[in-house]
Amino acid sequence: MDASAVTLALNLIYHIAVLALVGLGLGIVFGLLGVMNMAHGEFIALGAYAMLAVQNHGLAPGYGVALAVLGTAALGYPVERWLVRPLRSRPLDTLLATWGLSLLLRKSIEAVFGRQYQNVSNNLSGTSTLLGAEYPDYRLLLIVVIFVGFALLALWYRRSPAGARLQASVANRPLAQAIGIDVDRQACVAFVCGVASAGLAGALLAPLVRVEPLMGMDYLLDSFFVLVVGGLGSLSGLAAGSGIIGGTQVVVSTISDQTGGYVAVLLLSIGFLWLRPNGLLARR
Amino acid sequence: MLALVLSSVPHLSDDFRAYQLGTYLLYGVAAQGVALAWGRAGFLPLGQALFFGLGAYSAGMVLIASQANATLLALLPLAVLLPAALAYAIARLVFARQYVSGPNFSLITLALAMLAAQLANQWSGLTGGFNGLANIPEIGGLDRYSTVYYLIVALVVASTALLGWLYRTPLGALWLAVAQNENRLQFFGFATDRLKALAFALAGALAASAGALYATQQGLVTPQAIGFELSTELVIWTAVGGRFGPYGALLGAVGIGLLSAELRDVWIHWQVAMALIFILVVLRFPAGMAGALQTYGRRLWPRSWMAGAESLSSQSAAAPNYLPAPPRNRAADTSTLEPIRLEFNRVNVRIQGVSILSGLQLHLRGAGIHCIIGPNGAGKTSSFNALTGRLPLSDGDIHFSGRRVSGLRADTIARMGIARKFQIPSVFSALSVRDNLCIALWGNRANALQLLQASTWRWRSTLWEFLIASFPFLETESDRHAGELSQGQRQMLELAMTLLMEPRLLLLDEPCAGLSVAETGQQTDVIKRAVTLIGCTALVIEHDMAAVARLSDQVHVLHQGRLLASGSLADIQGNPDVQAVYSGGQK
Repeated sequence: MDASAVTLALNLIYHIAVLALVGLGLGIVFGLLGVMNMAHGEFIALGAYAMLAVQNHGLAPGYGVALAVLGTAALGYPVERWLVRPLRSRPLDTLLATWGLSLLLRKSIEAVFGRQYQNVSNNLSGTSTLLGAEYPDYRLLLIVVIFVGFALLALWYRRSPAGARLQASVANRPLAQAIGIDVDRQACVAFVCGVASAGLAGALLAPLVRVEPLMGMDYLLDSFFVLVVGGLGSLSGLAAGSGIIGGTQVVVSTISDQTGGYVAVLLLSIGFLWLRPNGLLARR
Repeated sequence: MLALVLSSVPHLSDDFRAYQLGTYLLYGVAAQGVALAWGRAGFLPLGQALFFGLGAYSAGMVLIASQANATLLALLPLAVLLPAALAYAIARLVFARQYVSGPNFSLITLALAMLAAQLANQWSGLTGGFNGLANIPEIGGLDRYSTVYYLIVALVVASTALLGWLYRTPLGALWLAVAQNENRLQFFGFATDRLKALAFALAGALAASAGALYATQQGLVTPQAIGFELSTELVIWTAVGGRFGPYGALLGAVGIGLLSAELRDVWIHWQVAMALIFILVVLRFPAGMAGALQTYGRRLWPRSWMAGAESLSSQSAAAPNYLPAPPRNRAADTSTLEPIRLEFNRVNVRIQGVSILSGLQLHLRGAGIHCIIGPNGAGKTSSFNALTGRLPLSDGDIHFSGRRVSGLRADTIARMGIARKFQIPSVFSALSVRDNLCIALWGNRANALQLLQASTWRWRSTLWEFLIASFPFLETESDRHAGELSQGQRQMLELAMTLLMEPRLLLLDEPCAGLSVAETGQQTDVIKRAVTLIGCTALVIEHDMAAVARLSDQVHVLHQGRLLASGSLADIQGNPDVQAVYSGGQK
């Protein structure tokens, strides 16, 4: 196998892993609350800006990750309590309210940090040689972390009592409520975990991307495409969606250019909405 | 009046103010399109700048090219028609098989706007790239700092008048019905995806025509005119201004837009405050500024000039010269002369391993009422769902008068003359009782042209008169919202609506549920007489054996997704299999 093929394969794996990480939060919130959180991307951006703030104060990156997770979680609680919950019976309005929230967060970020592109420095900027291909260490580390994290998550979801209760709520919320599961509290915890996972994703990706106020929008759309293709309500759907979207993006971008990859993904998603609105691994 | 006020601005103020106002009026026209899609038809476009920008770029290119060759000006209408066609195509593709206006459409439009901005930046040979398409000449020798303004005013007046008129037509009522209960509307035979696509095409055309004038007014089109920021602002202006009528969006764009342009640079937190106001409007004031003005205005002037979204057919009430409704459209069913024949052939439905219908075999022939009984979970409602295109068959097929029904869409099946009343009464809650009845009457009758004529509001049929005589509240409460009616009245209203379609096959799912004994008697009488009047076949699911006995002597018993027995009520009650299932007989 030549080095460029290995690089392409690693790029593919890296892309798919990042998409799964980025899409996780949106999937959790939609799966459990039925709410399309339009501010999902901004929570990712907040995670990245947490890293930036920590770096500007000269602290270690570990504090940034902690700040990203705790900060977004702390913000998620009041948002669920006073913005999402009152509108639960009005799906279009939750869409709008979270859209308003995304605007609020974006403009606040702009007011605090400015509109310009900024960089978070990478403490792990070396490369390793893998099967003859040079690949950045940080990306390799990220791939390992994401795969291990998802394996643990899947194990917990399938095996633990709390996971079983979650599965019950996703499958049939009124019935879950009837057998004594506190679905309101569960929804709140799910929302907080969803946005905190977005914050974590932002923090982990920060050293690799340009940090700017509009960065959230691309992540929102990527996560949405993953969910559309994979279908909602299951981890395997998330994995399948990430695989297809990531694969298309990398392959088409390699053949033509970035815009080509974007167009391909967009067409793929419209095709899915048209022909398979419930995604590949749909749960009716 | 709008024309007068707007045309006087350059005289009262100066040309620069008018120029600035003109730009925001153009945004206002695009926002009117957002209000049409979102406030009227109930789906939210988040990337409306796509069509504004397409109109602006293509008009700009045509105008530049026409400097060399004036005949090219004839291409200018394409700057509006192409974006409108694109909008129609997108909406048809996305809405084809989804009958809920969820977030999918919004996110797709958002992605398209972001893609368009990217392409506008990248294809610099065509669009001028980041710096924009510059040196666009004015249309027909007008001056962009003075006379172009009047062209803009003409567009604003035209679009406001067009929308004001459309909102009063039957089509306007159908859009509201789509937003409120799209599922129900399909069962009246309306292809709701087309209705939504039509609204979106019109919204796209409004945005594109605003964009075309923007090109000639500004002389420069940059990727800002097509991207995501403008799309977002259009939604905010529409929300804050008010999305239900044609004025709110205009008010929002001009009021908020101009204010923002002034304040953005003075006060850095202005946009944060604007986002907070937007969230507050979503949470508390869905009708926006126009709604607030209307509420206060009504206290000052009882008949407000800002006609909102309510009481559509009240103008028809004032004009009592009713028109006979045309006969039901029989173009869709090729087999009018054939006797009514319904066949379930070994129908199987399985969902996730659970068998809902297993080999259901049921043949009905000729007019008359048939009752379906069976314990819970027998597959009664599921057989209706399978018949009306809401439950895909795993095996077997369903034929209606020689045509295969299985696999068709709900609205196509409704147009074959199959009407259905739901188990839980399903009506358009925020429309008046009369509007509800009108929409049902138009189902399978009105053609595209008639949906644009005000006279269609005055259609009445013999059956309508019969129903009003039977249920007097349909007349006395005709201006009340259907959602304010009691459960029993909603049952009767929905029955009346289903009957007004004058179907060939009438499907009634527990029409007497929740009714008192006296009301049940009234309801069954109406069903029997209406079925005779229409001459249709009726299939009635009912648990109340007294009601069954009054309705019909042809009873079919379903059990575990199969037909257990058919015959007269006495036969059924004597049948040992049925007794075993029911271990009783009465309700």
